[in-house]
Amino acid sequence: MADNDAPNTTPAKPAAEAAEKSVAEKANGGPASSESPAQPVPAASRPAGGARPQRGPRRERPDHRPRRRGPGGGATEPNPARPGARSTPRVTEWFQDLRQERLRFELEEIWDEGKLAYRWTGAITPPPPLVEPRGLSREQCIEIFRWMLLNRALEQQLENLYKQSRVVGGVYFGLGQEGCSVASAYALGPNDWMAPMIRNQGSLLVRGFPARDIMMQYMARADSPTGGKDGTSHFGDLESRHVVAPISMLGDLIPVMAGVCLGERLQGREIAAMTWIGDGGQSTGVFHEGLNLAAVQNLGLVLIVENNLWAYSTPLQKQTRIRDLAIRARAYGIPAMIVDGTDPFQVYQAAHQAIERAHAGGGPTLIEAKLMRMKGHAIHDPAAYVPAAMLEFWRLRDPIARLEIWLKRKSWLDEAAIEEMRRAVESEILAERDAAEASPMPPPERAFEGVYCDGCHDPRPRFLGRGRRRP
Amino acid sequence: MQLTYVEAIRLALEEEMRRDPAVFLLGEDIGVYGGAFKATAGLIDEFGPVRVMDTPLAESALVGAAIGAAYTGMRPVAEFQFMDFIACAYNQIVNFAAKSHYRWQAPVPIVLRGPAGGGVHGGPFHSQNPEMHFVHTPGLKVVEPATAVDAKGLLKSAIRDNNPVIFLEHKFLYRRVKEEVPEGEHLAPLGKARVARPGRDLSVITYGAMVPLALEVADRLAGEGLELEVLDLRTLLPLDVEGMLASARRTSKVLILHEDTRTGGLAGEITALLQEHAYEDLDGPILRLTAADTPVPFSPPLEEAFLPSAARLAEMVKQLARY
Repeated sequence: MADNDAPNTTPAKPAAEAAEKSVAEKANGGPASSESPAQPVPAASRPAGGARPQRGPRRERPDHRPRRRGPGGGATEPNPARPGARSTPRVTEWFQDLRQERLRFELEEIWDEGKLAYRWTGAITPPPPLVEPRGLSREQCIEIFRWMLLNRALEQQLENLYKQSRVVGGVYFGLGQEGCSVASAYALGPNDWMAPMIRNQGSLLVRGFPARDIMMQYMARADSPTGGKDGTSHFGDLESRHVVAPISMLGDLIPVMAGVCLGERLQGREIAAMTWIGDGGQSTGVFHEGLNLAAVQNLGLVLIVENNLWAYSTPLQKQTRIRDLAIRARAYGIPAMIVDGTDPFQVYQAAHQAIERAHAGGGPTLIEAKLMRMKGHAIHDPAAYVPAAMLEFWRLRDPIARLEIWLKRKSWLDEAAIEEMRRAVESEILAERDAAEASPMPPPERAFEGVYCDGCHDPRPRFLGRGRRRP
Repeated sequence: MQLTYVEAIRLALEEEMRRDPAVFLLGEDIGVYGGAFKATAGLIDEFGPVRVMDTPLAESALVGAAIGAAYTGMRPVAEFQFMDFIACAYNQIVNFAAKSHYRWQAPVPIVLRGPAGGGVHGGPFHSQNPEMHFVHTPGLKVVEPATAVDAKGLLKSAIRDNNPVIFLEHKFLYRRVKEEVPEGEHLAPLGKARVARPGRDLSVITYGAMVPLALEVADRLAGEGLELEVLDLRTLLPLDVEGMLASARRTSKVLILHEDTRTGGLAGEITALLQEHAYEDLDGPILRLTAADTPVPFSPPLEEAFLPSAARLAEMVKQLARY
């Protein structure tokens, strides 16, 4: 399997890669990494091998910036005749690809001693260095690193708790995806909203939930955020953290988060609502329904498609015929970005840009983060279907290792400081585990409580009548 | 004010939108067109296209957006063009909205309203009664008014309720019912049945478009010396168990009538409740008259055969009265 926009379908040779890069740089007047993918080139129209054909200037604006669309960057002009009346949102089309490298590999079905298996072929090359962070201070870069360490340490602790039979049910890991979980949520403002997916433990930590909450969810304890009524990352907080609890059915969060933007707009506020979906979840009908609604109504949805190449045991090419999931954004008339999901700075930059667009009333953005699920679907799944070479390739792209190397090269953290940080994170996780384990199991009578809201809550809009405010 | 059932719906929407800026509408063709049955006629002109929002043709997105807006404290009222299409949004309703408060204490004050029911030769996809999919889902409320007065009063209560309410309007009644409807603050409580006609001999427990059918039969049988009590359930979830028991104890004979199909219909649940709580008070078997266990057929003679009829109801009532 290779990206749609890769020059050929055979495994890339370093020489061919270099040639392709230089041609692409000439064609675009810059490094190939900043090139936008534009339309996919049908395989049949590509040359049989070798370099990408030289192309003329692209239709997208070279600086990839959205066109200004009237005062405040809003997509629609107000109609003075009737408050709230809007013209049809203008169609916007542009792509940004922030990646420093293109993925070139092939995944094919083979018969291996009478069993069907997948074979991965590709060059196991080291990753490029991380991009320079934009809009992040040294302290913030280090903070992101610490959140990623905490994310991983939490998941290691969950694995331990599972092996000690203290977890009820399975554990869903985001190993290899910590950079994306953390850096995307890190870009959100306090008035923005988010809704995590099952592997976004890091996003929940960044949004302010203590690790014990996640552990108690997995251990089904009385003091978990859902009080034992649901598990895993299936919890939220409407009041202060603005987090919507996910459900197991993928895609359903997309229209819900569009609705959050709608509800805030009705209160005079343009906010960003971030949620995540995977290569599998993108196949659902409600993905389309929700993204289309957000596009038509120009709602500030920030949809991060974590293309981690496997949906349970189903590889990407059995999910869809396209390789760059971001190109779907074109069908909705909304901007899209592709980032290396193991580079937290690319993820942050894309998320930040999308959030700014949402705050300016510029509508939704789809961000495809390319990365790899480094464990099975859940802890019970050894993922024997994943070829070893594929894991080897992606192990070199471990987001924590990449950021650690970058921070050391930058001399922002030395080995001793990193060790100290690891120890502090580890002891924080142990303290959180002790707190989680101190919580009892819920009392049985709780099973019958809370089916209805009978005056226990007072849902009302917080911002109606207070004038227009930006987060 | 003399209003039809659908005009009463419209009035409830208008009054609630004026009263509470958190209330807004979304649905297909509800704006400039005013809705397929004109339940939202003119509202876009008063409240603008943000509070009366036409959505793409996508019911999961419709309900999803309503849920999300409710999380910000708004009170969305989503229209289904026909309640048959609620099946397209089943997952959002059953797995997202219904379980939200139980799972994580997040109330979802939304109303999902639209025309249900047959008798208008709408065929298999414009005539269904989908209530039981939702009556079987803890966390939802299911409401179906039978009069214009209740259409207004129950819808206003549904909008103010903190839970997701499936609000089934019977399209057969939309323009066939016209009566004096009180203006302003008129609320009908959710979860309370209404005695549509008091009587001493036999209770007909019913709802929706079967209420006028039962009243018609009751009037006819009164001339034969048989006094039927007609109990209009109004809310199907949660059921008014006390109201049903009180009626059963007054008359000691119960027939359950609904337009929904038979197997797994509400009559089975009500029968179980009555025999659990009022067995000693009953003087005869609990009977049920329902639609047949088939899809709703299109051609008029087929649909008439499918639906419960006044003649069949009268016949069953007389049979029960003999106990």
